[in-house]
Amino acid sequence: MKINPVYKQETKVSARSFRFPLVIFLFNCILALVALLDMYSMITQVKRTAEIQYSSFLSLYIFVATVEFTLLLFLVPAITAGTISGERERQTLDLMLTTSMSPTDIVLGKLLASLSTVLLLIVSSFPIIALVFIYGGVMVKDIALLLLCYGMTALLTGSIGIFCSSSFKKTTIATVVSYCLTAALVIGTVAVNHLASLLLRVTAVQGGRGSGNFFYLLLLNPASTFRTVLNSQIGSQAMLENFFPWLLYKPESLIIEHWFIAGLGVQFALSVLFLRLAVEKVKPCKRMR
Amino acid sequence: MLKIEQLKKRFGQIVALDGLNMSVEEGTLYGFVGPNGAGKTTTIKILTGLLLPDGGTVTIDGIDVTKEPRKVMEKIGYVPDFFGVYDNLKVEEYMEFFASCYGILGLKARRRCMMLLEQVRLDEKAGFYVEGLSRGMKQRLSLARALIHNPSILIMDEPTAGLDPRTRFEFRQILKELRDQEKTIFISSHILPELAEVCTDIGIVDQGKVVLEGAMTDILSQINVSSPLTISIKGSKEEALSVLRSHSKVETITIRQEDIVVNFKGDRQEEIILLQQLIEAGTKIYGFVRERGNLESVFMEITNHEEERLVLLHEDQSGL
Repeated sequence: MKINPVYKQETKVSARSFRFPLVIFLFNCILALVALLDMYSMITQVKRTAEIQYSSFLSLYIFVATVEFTLLLFLVPAITAGTISGERERQTLDLMLTTSMSPTDIVLGKLLASLSTVLLLIVSSFPIIALVFIYGGVMVKDIALLLLCYGMTALLTGSIGIFCSSSFKKTTIATVVSYCLTAALVIGTVAVNHLASLLLRVTAVQGGRGSGNFFYLLLLNPASTFRTVLNSQIGSQAMLENFFPWLLYKPESLIIEHWFIAGLGVQFALSVLFLRLAVEKVKPCKRMR
Repeated sequence: MLKIEQLKKRFGQIVALDGLNMSVEEGTLYGFVGPNGAGKTTTIKILTGLLLPDGGTVTIDGIDVTKEPRKVMEKIGYVPDFFGVYDNLKVEEYMEFFASCYGILGLKARRRCMMLLEQVRLDEKAGFYVEGLSRGMKQRLSLARALIHNPSILIMDEPTAGLDPRTRFEFRQILKELRDQEKTIFISSHILPELAEVCTDIGIVDQGKVVLEGAMTDILSQINVSSPLTISIKGSKEEALSVLRSHSKVETITIRQEDIVVNFKGDRQEEIILLQQLIEAGTKIYGFVRERGNLESVFMEITNHEEERLVLLHEDQSGL
């Protein structure tokens, strides 16, 4: 089987680098610290009240999963934003473009290599996530759904990173813009909904409680998909609804009913769009001197 | 092999290529020279598919570079003026990576890599990390990389820029070997004596156009290069100077110890007449030589613009 040369070379180089094991170590250290502190607080509570609240163990799962999701949002743009711009900085991009490889091969090779790193991060965190199995309440299927959600988040943020990397010559600028675009998806869509709900409340349209059709913007938001997964597994914790009451007043439609699938579909399409744009940016004849 | 017709490229108001025409035959080592900003790098970028021209056609083995770039990439090997190396990659791995980019895999790739590393005298460095190689070694590795898929034409942009004389000599030897193997090579360089030594053909580009093209030997013999006549005189030079000053073909006269260096625009027959006149005037001549034309003088003659000459004159007069 022919393996993408860029993917093969990237994985070889990154496996040799000191940065790679360091990232895995720090990622898992943060997760383990969070999990152990959470367990410690639960055990302290048990000692104090002599009462075991099994729902607390589920909150451990939510906590660890949320921290891992947040870490992914921070790590993936950093990993991917230097892929193409780094080649430019090393002056190796032109060399690759003058081979038989197409720009699509280069972009996909880079994406696959970055996703492999992310996959290793996720897989390496399994023992910590699996702490929740000790007490039960979460099934293997739930973990699989969570992984699917992580995978899509990694794909979307990775595509954004690669698009920025191919659009900007400097890795620093590409990284900053990647974070801005990711923030626009994660925080921006929530902010738009919040503003829309405030505006609709003033104008009293649709009862003035929800954010109207702006709610569908959240399909672009990987955090929204992640929240749906957690809610479907452990029931709504109604924490976010305290801050964003418009979340309780969704428009009624088939999309809302199948929010997780629709969200994954939209985010996948967006990832493909970003990758397509990245390929166009890398295409040699489009580039000026 | 390589044919460029009416190639045009502008960068805003700047005309980089203004209808450049050029032809490189199979098995030739073609030297592509020109002053800075003449359009050499732009031409090479278009040849390698890295830049799109505004007009004109470039074909390699009859395949249009702009229409079928992927097919052309299989036919060219590109050695840029930079190294382009990866950290944490060994020499053999670097070679194997680029071999895999051309679909050459496994044992075949390994054999080809070792053969090429041997050819560029880097076989002993196969297990070394690329980043640890010297500048000259990196450039030789770059050459081996460009040859990995046995391209029809090797395109080199200033490959010896910044290398020390010994490394340049080694590089030149490798180029001679490749020329003897009848590999078509298109090389751009500023180091003209080197090109003159290895090239079979030459094209001089200036202001986006080819101003002179042909076989190296033909060019050197055809062009009136205005090489100065050096007349070595024993004793008084007054008689000689008097003859030279009154001669219509003499443009400048410079005295250097026992020699008089004359910028003489006459042909071989007129040189003989001048020599006779000098002897008849009683000059004791023991040397009468016109320096052989070289690539550098051809280049200076062709790319010597009037405006540049005026700037140089002004700088000279004002002591800048």
